[in-house]
Amino acid sequence: MALDRKIAYIDLSTGKIETRPIPIEVRKKFLGGRGLDAYLLYNHAPQGCDPLGPDNPLMISGGILTATCASATARTHIMAKSPLTGLLGSANMGGFFAPEMAWAGFHHLVIKGKAKSPVYIWIHNGRIEIRDAAYLWGKSTTETQWAIREELGDEDIKSAVIGQAGEKLVRYANVMTGIKNAAGRTGMGAVMGSKNLKAVAVRGTMDIRIAHPVDALEHNKHFIDGITGAKVNKTQGALGTPFIWGATNSWGGLRNRNFQYNQMEYADDIEPERLDEIATETIGPHHMTGCFGCQVHCRAQYKIPSGPYAGKYDEGPEYTSQGAFGAEPDCRKAETVLAGNHLVNQYGVDNLEIGSMIAWAMELFELGIITTKETDGLDLRFGNDEALLEMVHRICLRKGWLGDVLAEGGIPASEKIGKNSFDYLIQVKGMNNLHSDERGTPGLALNIATASRGSDHLRSRPAIDLYHLPEKVMRKIYSSPVPYDGPLSSEHTDYEGKPWQVFWHQNCYMAVDCLGICKYHTVFLGATLPNFEDWPKVIYYNTGLEFTPVELWEIAERCNNLERLFNLREGLTRNDLKKGDMLNHRYFDEPTRRGAPDVVGRTIDRQKFNKMVDEFYSHCGWDKKGVPTSETMQRLGLNQEPSHLL
Amino acid sequence: MEKVLTVDYQKCTGCRLCELVCSVMHDGISNPARSRIKVVKWEEEGHYVPMICQQCEDAPCKNVCPVGAISRDVDYGFLTIDHTLCIGCRSCVSVCPFGAMNYNQVDKKVFKCDLCGGQPQCVRFCDMKAVDFVAADNMTTIKKRNAATRLFASQKHAAVIQDQI
Amino acid sequence: MANDTEKLSASESLRETRTFGKVRCHNPSCMERLEPSPGVDHIKCATCGMEYRIFWVRPDLPRIRGPVWEVNRKIAAEALARKLETSGNKSKAKEGV
Repeated sequence: MALDRKIAYIDLSTGKIETRPIPIEVRKKFLGGRGLDAYLLYNHAPQGCDPLGPDNPLMISGGILTATCASATARTHIMAKSPLTGLLGSANMGGFFAPEMAWAGFHHLVIKGKAKSPVYIWIHNGRIEIRDAAYLWGKSTTETQWAIREELGDEDIKSAVIGQAGEKLVRYANVMTGIKNAAGRTGMGAVMGSKNLKAVAVRGTMDIRIAHPVDALEHNKHFIDGITGAKVNKTQGALGTPFIWGATNSWGGLRNRNFQYNQMEYADDIEPERLDEIATETIGPHHMTGCFGCQVHCRAQYKIPSGPYAGKYDEGPEYTSQGAFGAEPDCRKAETVLAGNHLVNQYGVDNLEIGSMIAWAMELFELGIITTKETDGLDLRFGNDEALLEMVHRICLRKGWLGDVLAEGGIPASEKIGKNSFDYLIQVKGMNNLHSDERGTPGLALNIATASRGSDHLRSRPAIDLYHLPEKVMRKIYSSPVPYDGPLSSEHTDYEGKPWQVFWHQNCYMAVDCLGICKYHTVFLGATLPNFEDWPKVIYYNTGLEFTPVELWEIAERCNNLERLFNLREGLTRNDLKKGDMLNHRYFDEPTRRGAPDVVGRTIDRQKFNKMVDEFYSHCGWDKKGVPTSETMQRLGLNQEPSHLL
Repeated sequence: MEKVLTVDYQKCTGCRLCELVCSVMHDGISNPARSRIKVVKWEEEGHYVPMICQQCEDAPCKNVCPVGAISRDVDYGFLTIDHTLCIGCRSCVSVCPFGAMNYNQVDKKVFKCDLCGGQPQCVRFCDMKAVDFVAADNMTTIKKRNAATRLFASQKHAAVIQDQI
Repeated sequence: MANDTEKLSASESLRETRTFGKVRCHNPSCMERLEPSPGVDHIKCATCGMEYRIFWVRPDLPRIRGPVWEVNRKIAAEALARKLETSGNKSKAKEGV
């Protein structure tokens, strides 16, 4: 059954491999996936270790429900200390990797050390082997995956791989599987590169016995119907995440020209409907594809219709590629978005980060902080499509002065570029923000400021705040599974009640990441989607383990606190602009200039923001500095950490 | 009434939920290696084709079986294996032109699609209806309508173009 | 036991609030429910005056494709000018477009 999937410790320096069962007590405290990874990171990473050194442990995992008869258990989680932020590194991807790893017998890998030469790890039905990857070095992400299949003679092998960006230690290189599923954020690909680890390949045909198969099957049908019945998921299934970008641009909630504008006007060629037309023209009417066991199928397939990359097949683009190669650099051509998306997928680099880095450099170029001297003659102005794509190549291959500098990540790059370049960098904890603008939405601003892996929307964003839900609906969602009778406001511009919403979503998303399911199956974009009260049944039918909704909530709190403890240990301090829960000054000082009438002219009020942070900390059980109090540690059973149970 | 499984591979998203529910339905186990249906993929081009048992009329698996263990279900028309007779020679696996007869290494048994006894779970869970379960005497009606719709639409389009000329 | 099979969860009970055939005005302070006539490609919010292009995901599921730029950017520019006037924040913002 799911609970007999093991953990493997692989030391690439010595070649030593050890496998162990995962005790039920550990499952009951951390479930699996990201939560258990956080425990492993806190226990295995030496304080202050070099993120690109052999001591940094790399965790690859599936959740407790991975490959069971639950819906969309496709997510693979990857964790290590981040070479981008120096704090928590954590990234999550869809596709088919984690389920295949579960059928091969494993839920968790802990990879340490550094191989002398390029290697890949091959896991097949309980056996683990370290193999030569010299012939794979320099290959793109997809070339690597197909080559491994050919070498081992099995087309069902799934691999998590790095591309050239990971090999070159670009600090926001990602780990990828399939055509475009990417564990994108915080530079997990660079950690693999630093270990000379090109890929982890898995293949399994081992049974996962379902505890109550008839109930699991029936309940799964009910669960899926609830999920696919939501308008948001029907729209996702037709247009993918670009629909979010389209809607966000419509009212003025995204970033354009780094942070100068909060809307890209006349973006008609990169609107979701236009991208959908291209997919229809180049693939056909049925051009959506999905991750393992998921009926939302939110990923488009396309071929690039024109230009230098014409005819190339790829998947996506997602919101972040529209941001990275559209609104941020102010480029308006679908062709550029699709080509940029293809390049990042092949190189294996985080599209979000690279788009933000280039847009930042473009603003610096516009301001004269960098010139053609630094760009080696490249005209790096906003709206220059060719320059944008050229910079992608240069960063991923570390070509030229600027390419190499930008590959180091925002804060180190700002130190090398100097002057006041740092002021223009839209980051939290050293990681760039999603291409969204939170000046009109204090709740969302609090989310990116306090997210555990740096500016990020997938850790605690109360996205449904934008729906103006009636208060009784808000009460229904946010007063469960633990009671809450404090303020809640349907008004997205309010500061009141938002800290509780961010806290609630922080726990909700952690629970989802521990289960190994997708966020489109919970209260992220749809208010009526499953959450704490719905999960105990799914867990019970599939694994036989019993939890109450409140117990799941507590597990999520526990795991969030572990991430917090790790960040604090590695130097997080509340108001530090580079390593804290603080926003760039532009959020407080520069009013928004575009969008709906109530969105223009907005800034975040510094005083009210600080009050929100105080309140959020207090919900989390943290003191004014953001440190978990001894009562919190006691309540969540964390006062013995690191406890080295695994 | 006899019904048959049909596949419209263009609709398949490649999610493999059908493989999961097939193995859970039959064995109470999640394991695509136990699934009667398998999505074959050309990932580098984005083509996905669910492969199923065609329940052939002149069925090679039935013809080749040396002990007569494979017979046709009278109610639903699918081919079924009698495991009390089966000797596990795997001749049916070798001879099946679609790879739809499978062999399970753990249980040491051949296995194939039995239409879940009349309610195929792959169909129930596929919201794209890339796999469907339709009346055998009616299986081309939908195809005809779809083709006719395309013809109709293109003729209308052609008429518009002619008007413009 | 933990798995009460009879009681509806919060998310299950909220599902009846789902509405099809309508879109919400993208002006966050307005959020008026607009009901486009089947097949139309354009709608104007009677409450706040914003105008949108409509796309039909399915025959019963319209969505806002995007703003009618000429109309909505003018509304935004006027709103910004008004706000900067009252807040005296003029020096900090460049022109709205």
